[in-house]
Amino acid sequence: MTELLVKNACVIDPLRGINAETMDIAILDGKIVEEVSDAAEVIDARGMLTLPGGVDSHTHICGTKVNFGRYMSPEDMRAGRTPRRGPLHATSGYSVPTTYGNSYRYSVMGYTTLLEGAMAPLEARHTHEEFIYTPLQDTMANVLFDGNWGIMEAIRDGDTKRVAAIIAWTLRAVKGFAIKLTNPGGTEAWQWGKNVSCIRDPVPYFEVTPAEIIRSIVEANELLGLPHSVHLHCNNLGTPGNYSCTLGSLGLIPDLNEKRQTLYAAHVQFHAYGGSDWKDFCSKSEPIARFVDMRPQIVMDMGQVMFGRTTTMTADGPMEFNLYRLHHEKWSNHDVELETGSGIIPVIYRRKNLVNSIMWAIGLELALLTKSPWQCLLTTDNPNGAPFVKYPEIIGLLMSKKYRDAEFATIHPDTEARVPLPAIERELDWYEIAVMTRAGQAKALGIQDLGKGHLGPDADADVAIYPLRMDEVDPSVDYQKVIDAFSRTEYTIKRGRVVARRGECLVDGSNATFWVRPKVSENYDMGKDPDFIEKFDRYYTVRMRNYPVQEEYLNRNRCIETEARI
Amino acid sequence: MKVTLAMKPAAKSFISIEAESIVPKNFLDGTDLSVWRGNRELRLDEVFSVLVEGDADRSEDVEVVLSGETFRLKRVGEYMDGGRITILGNIGMHCGNFMSGGIIEVRGNADGWLGREMAGGAIVCRGDAADYCAAGYRGGRKGMTGGTVEVFGSTGDFLAESIAGGTVTVHGNSGDMAGAEMRGGTLVVHGDCRRPGANMKEGSCYVYGTVQGMLPTFRKIGTVQHGGRTLIRFAGDLANRGKGNLFVKDYEYLD
Repeated sequence: MTELLVKNACVIDPLRGINAETMDIAILDGKIVEEVSDAAEVIDARGMLTLPGGVDSHTHICGTKVNFGRYMSPEDMRAGRTPRRGPLHATSGYSVPTTYGNSYRYSVMGYTTLLEGAMAPLEARHTHEEFIYTPLQDTMANVLFDGNWGIMEAIRDGDTKRVAAIIAWTLRAVKGFAIKLTNPGGTEAWQWGKNVSCIRDPVPYFEVTPAEIIRSIVEANELLGLPHSVHLHCNNLGTPGNYSCTLGSLGLIPDLNEKRQTLYAAHVQFHAYGGSDWKDFCSKSEPIARFVDMRPQIVMDMGQVMFGRTTTMTADGPMEFNLYRLHHEKWSNHDVELETGSGIIPVIYRRKNLVNSIMWAIGLELALLTKSPWQCLLTTDNPNGAPFVKYPEIIGLLMSKKYRDAEFATIHPDTEARVPLPAIERELDWYEIAVMTRAGQAKALGIQDLGKGHLGPDADADVAIYPLRMDEVDPSVDYQKVIDAFSRTEYTIKRGRVVARRGECLVDGSNATFWVRPKVSENYDMGKDPDFIEKFDRYYTVRMRNYPVQEEYLNRNRCIETEARI
Repeated sequence: MKVTLAMKPAAKSFISIEAESIVPKNFLDGTDLSVWRGNRELRLDEVFSVLVEGDADRSEDVEVVLSGETFRLKRVGEYMDGGRITILGNIGMHCGNFMSGGIIEVRGNADGWLGREMAGGAIVCRGDAADYCAAGYRGGRKGMTGGTVEVFGSTGDFLAESIAGGTVTVHGNSGDMAGAEMRGGTLVVHGDCRRPGANMKEGSCYVYGTVQGMLPTFRKIGTVQHGGRTLIRFAGDLANRGKGNLFVKDYEYLD
């Protein structure tokens, strides 16, 4: 029995409506409790800002795609080198660091739960193996269903229950957490050397449209009662004028769930572009934010771009090919059999570049123009917009108009005419930042009932204490103090244990992986469906019995059983 | 100031020594430096007989002379910014990495990565240089950005890979893929080489001998006079929308 008492913590806990109350946090065996005995170890937080452990609902840190980013960018490994020390492993890398590098750096920033944004089902083992070596965060993975042949055939036949059944079988097999659609239909079209231009374009051979895929899978998601909603990377990422396609996609979504959103729109910054080509490229953050304001069924994340070097990686193969044609640098392209694909390109976002400057502004605008912080979460789509170590700077930008203006003065001078950012006065407060970085993310993922994203009794004891007193720092002026504090916690507590202190990780840790097992009726068990089995054996390069990821691949295994309505 | 470092004979002479501390600037504060042999840190005088003559206030006035089994030394002259290093024998890998000023003279042969990513100064190698002479590093966008490298013998493969500035001259032959990914600067090979300028974007590459396996993605422009020679001029690499210039005395395509 280990007991810990955090005293004098100035807590913001949005899921419980607590805003800057000084209180004690009692921890027993890794869970928050009402009180502990006098024998408990005591940490005096001295009125410092204390938040639930950070949650990143969309990041790319583990799996084949990330690892290929490492392969193809050996130069990235020249940065961020730290030697082995005590229980800590050596790390290296900046935009695609080693798994330990990811884990330690997230931990130092107070993050304790991460969702890998895109896991190809066939290559799930790799993701789970890397999760084991991401020891200081609990992890979960979105599973890619954007170009799944069986699902597209079921959609063509109008059989949403079969769609749900295939998803249920696959999630269970690959130990996935939620459904990810990346450029739905487009990645399959890419296997024919094509793309889809927007949601009404049919996918070659299957003759279903992205709109049908999105609608049908959203319904299937609710049939299965999954904790998270469908996680959508819209069609047409990164092309001028794509905002209308984004609005069209978001407009497809009915409000089907009372507890959470029905659609999570990922990295919307990349989908909020106006203009007809790169010459008249401009921001369309306003119509998107207004559209989302009116629809509680949608949550989006920023996908903020920050200047500097990074690596873009996505299952959106055709988009990466277009990027390759722009940059003419190295490019990787990958096909995942009956499921999806991917592409990777290292990039540098430059202040001197007008398009990059506008992209930078759009992400901030989305966060500032969306009324509810619960509907626009803070991410960079790590590492696509920027490595996650830039989060503190983004927090600084959102909290300080002064900082934004100072940065704005350094970017391309023509940006001003293309974006509404200079006219936005809003400065987010501590509570809103807490929503955007943990509470809102946990709620969107549907993991608050599993004890994530809040500090209520029985929650997981994941706590981040930042070296900053809210009554002493005015974030709109002292933004540098805000950035410093969010870069380096005073204490990061994971499962009731201090794992990082003042920028140093202290323990090796051991992660837990959340995954979902929807309970479906006998008739919808795809493991016994002759047609599914036959197609599997005919088209896949692996046998069906070898496909599922064994539970041995999961370190600490937290299975979420859901009652499916099929 | 002249610093003479004579290597002591070693029992395990196959283990190389990481000697990035051997830079003229460091000797301004004495000879209390260390080098690494495997995972063991050694004082300079454990590896070398050290002799210092005279003194100096700036690195430009420091000359370091290395002798003995110097082929075991790696990273000599890394980040060097002035002064002179003379190596009487052969030198190991990564000599003159990132150097920005001063002169390194290698009387013997140099192992791989001589003058990797150098930004200024001069390297003269009297013997041969191995692969990746004056090149960039794995995956990096830019290699050498300035300075000069002159090799009197021949070089291995990937000579001046990713060069973006400065001049590289090789008096002998060069191996495969000379000037690959070139994006600036000048490369001159007096002898023969294979497949030069692959994927080049900018810069000029001269081959006074014969090019074997000439890449088909270069467009022939005509002949030019250059230093008393008649060279055939090509533009490319067209595969990379390149605007580089490749001048060759003679060439043959692959069959």
